[in-house]
Amino acid sequence: MHLELAVQTTGLTRDFGSFRAVDGIDLVVPAGSLYGFLGPNGAGKSTTIKCLTGLLRPTAGSMMILGTNPIADPVSVKRRIGVVPEDLALFDRLTAQETLTFVAQVHGIDRATAQHRASDLLNLMELKSAGTTLVTDFSHGMRKKLSLAAALLPAPKLLFLDEPFEGIDAVASRQIKDLLLSFVSHGGTIFLTSHILEIVERLSTHIGVIAGGRMVAQGPIADLRAGAGSGKSLEELFIGLVGGDARTPAALDWI
Amino acid sequence: MLRILRAFVWLRWRMLLNSLENTGARDRLERFSLAIERLGPIMAAVFLIPSMLGLAIVASAAGYSLGRGDQHSLLFEALRYLLLFIPIASIVGPLFLPAADRTNPVRLLLLPIPRRTLYAAQAATALGDVWTVIVLPIALFVPFGLALAGALDSAVVVLAGGAVFLAVVIGLSALATSVLHLIARDRRRGELLALLFILIIPAVSMLPGLLHGRHSRGAQRRGSATEEVHLPVWVAAAAERAFAVYPSELYVRSARAMPAREVQTAATRLGLLAIIAVAVHAAGMFVFGRILDSPGATGARRSVTARKAWGMTIPGLTPGASAVALAQLRLALRTPRGRSILLSPLVMMAVFAVVVLRRSGGFDLGPVSLNGGLGFASFTSFICLVATLPIVVNQFAVDKAGMTLALLSPLSDEEYLTGKEVGNALIAFPPALISLVAAIGIFRSGSPALWAAVPLALIATYLLISAPAAMLSALFPRLVDLNSIGRSSNAHGLAGLLGMLAFVVAGGSNLIIVLAATKWLERPGLVPILLLGWCAIAFFISRVLFAVARRIFASRRENLALLLSDK
Repeated sequence: MHLELAVQTTGLTRDFGSFRAVDGIDLVVPAGSLYGFLGPNGAGKSTTIKCLTGLLRPTAGSMMILGTNPIADPVSVKRRIGVVPEDLALFDRLTAQETLTFVAQVHGIDRATAQHRASDLLNLMELKSAGTTLVTDFSHGMRKKLSLAAALLPAPKLLFLDEPFEGIDAVASRQIKDLLLSFVSHGGTIFLTSHILEIVERLSTHIGVIAGGRMVAQGPIADLRAGAGSGKSLEELFIGLVGGDARTPAALDWI
Repeated sequence: MLRILRAFVWLRWRMLLNSLENTGARDRLERFSLAIERLGPIMAAVFLIPSMLGLAIVASAAGYSLGRGDQHSLLFEALRYLLLFIPIASIVGPLFLPAADRTNPVRLLLLPIPRRTLYAAQAATALGDVWTVIVLPIALFVPFGLALAGALDSAVVVLAGGAVFLAVVIGLSALATSVLHLIARDRRRGELLALLFILIIPAVSMLPGLLHGRHSRGAQRRGSATEEVHLPVWVAAAAERAFAVYPSELYVRSARAMPAREVQTAATRLGLLAIIAVAVHAAGMFVFGRILDSPGATGARRSVTARKAWGMTIPGLTPGASAVALAQLRLALRTPRGRSILLSPLVMMAVFAVVVLRRSGGFDLGPVSLNGGLGFASFTSFICLVATLPIVVNQFAVDKAGMTLALLSPLSDEEYLTGKEVGNALIAFPPALISLVAAIGIFRSGSPALWAAVPLALIATYLLISAPAAMLSALFPRLVDLNSIGRSSNAHGLAGLLGMLAFVVAGGSNLIIVLAATKWLERPGLVPILLLGWCAIAFFISRVLFAVARRIFASRRENLALLLSDK
């Protein structure tokens, strides 16, 4: 059976001088999946997202995003994806409403549709009352929600989310989780990174694990857990895959 | 206490070394860019060392003269004038330093250190400031000179005076830093302060020069010597009394009194200086305490009026390019540095206009003498263009995280650059046109053809500099904070320098055309026609340069994307 892929990379590599941040990874992200991309700090997750979203050019390897080569036709790919990057990518001196207007304009969305969608998103993210407030005065959680709203406004087919749950409260986290599940149930694909394994375990249909720039495991979450042995949590599976050990602070007897 | 101070000295030293060592450059061009950025401080440090040595020699000679009984030694008088500026610099200086150059009190609060020690550590950072470094050789070597001349007791007293004066300078610097922090932690108040400083300081500093220029010229016209200005008696008396208790004067007068055996005068002055030092540090500690009591940023959220115009598409542009242009304009309208770009030329123009109207005629600006409305209009509108330099030659990085949003958007490089080009024009042209209209309103004389030439010259200048500015912005991006007033809101040094050269060359080409028509061909009516032709040529040149800028931008796109993460 032919599996439709939202993201496919072959030997994706990215070097920074002599440092290899991403080392020949082969990503396979099925369309309609919620793909959790996991890895310890400095494993190469954000660099991979930057390559996939066109912020960085890979040093080697090939990529296909929604069936299009993003290096050959970046604008076409960007029209169909939404991104929440690690720096949240917001203009400090625009309001929430203006940020969404900016996104609508660069995506060529007509004004009536843009206003309707912006209103829906601001309501959903509980940012309606802050619609005319400058982003520079937003809290981190508000910025994150606005960045997600901006990513969703053009109704993309594929969302790239870099740590969407970091630094936000439980209520907002719940809202975002529901929103993401709804997005996937409507046929969208999500590629997200997160350190909060419980959330990834609950939301993801597929996971990929990267360590030291290399893919160490990938596939449907159920298959990976079955392969690792019954009863193993994602945390145990993850620690086993990235080579970490459950170090106890026994050596720190001065604490 | 000493252990903690040593830890703070080590912290500053380590931060300095790390900033020089870990460049994090991604390629050769970025290494060059970073090297140029650091060249300024390094050159300043290199020049500072011989300057300090020279100052030490002068101070020793001045002290020696004092010790030999020459109370009005020329060298000591020179030091006196230099010291006059030190207390002012220690108050104004912290305003222009990037916030990162000062220790963050919030971070300090987490450390198990008593408040007094924290204050001492905070105040001690002023020892690295240029104005403090200048005091050191004077405070040390004037007593050395006195000792050489055999006036050992005077040397000891003057050394003590120098130490107290240094304490005053450090205290003033610490107090100014704390007050600034207290004001700026309310973001709106901080931005207002920044805007006031950007607008008022240049305007006020220009007034005496302009008035003096007119005054001297008036005197010259009448063939008389420069007239003296008489202040009211009470003002002169109050100024004299205030001047007598000015910190540097107290130090200077006590240093003069000791070798002359006026021990009581010296003691009084020294005592007053000590009281000032204690008062300044007490105030400094009080304000520092206020910061530590509530170190977080305060201030209400700012709302802006939603304008329909912001959602419109600028005619002739794609919606994407229009969105980029309007975002650029809003950045200028909503940041202190941006507002200063829009307003400071108008403030300058108002100052010039007042001077011109009061004195009826032209005015001198250093070596440049401007007479008549055309000169005035050309000068002020050109200044309006040049004022945009900090944003225009750093047009991508000024957006900070907004730049990432633009780079992730489905915008072609051409759309993005066009949007920036139009956005910068929207920032530069309204003040220039206001200046022009105001000049026409004020002067109402001169050939209409020449008046029409001014906007044409502005268009030609902008067309010629817009593409080079985009190239410089792509090649030498610098993350800046347009909310600050110091170095941290300036563009990259090399981009600024080359950008200024581009402005001068582009503006100069118009001047040549005007001179050719008026002086050589003696047909002023030809000026607008020639400039219209020049605009067409400039447009063609700009399109060629724009293609080059687009290529450069494409090749530096990744570098710009990584600027925020500083990978």
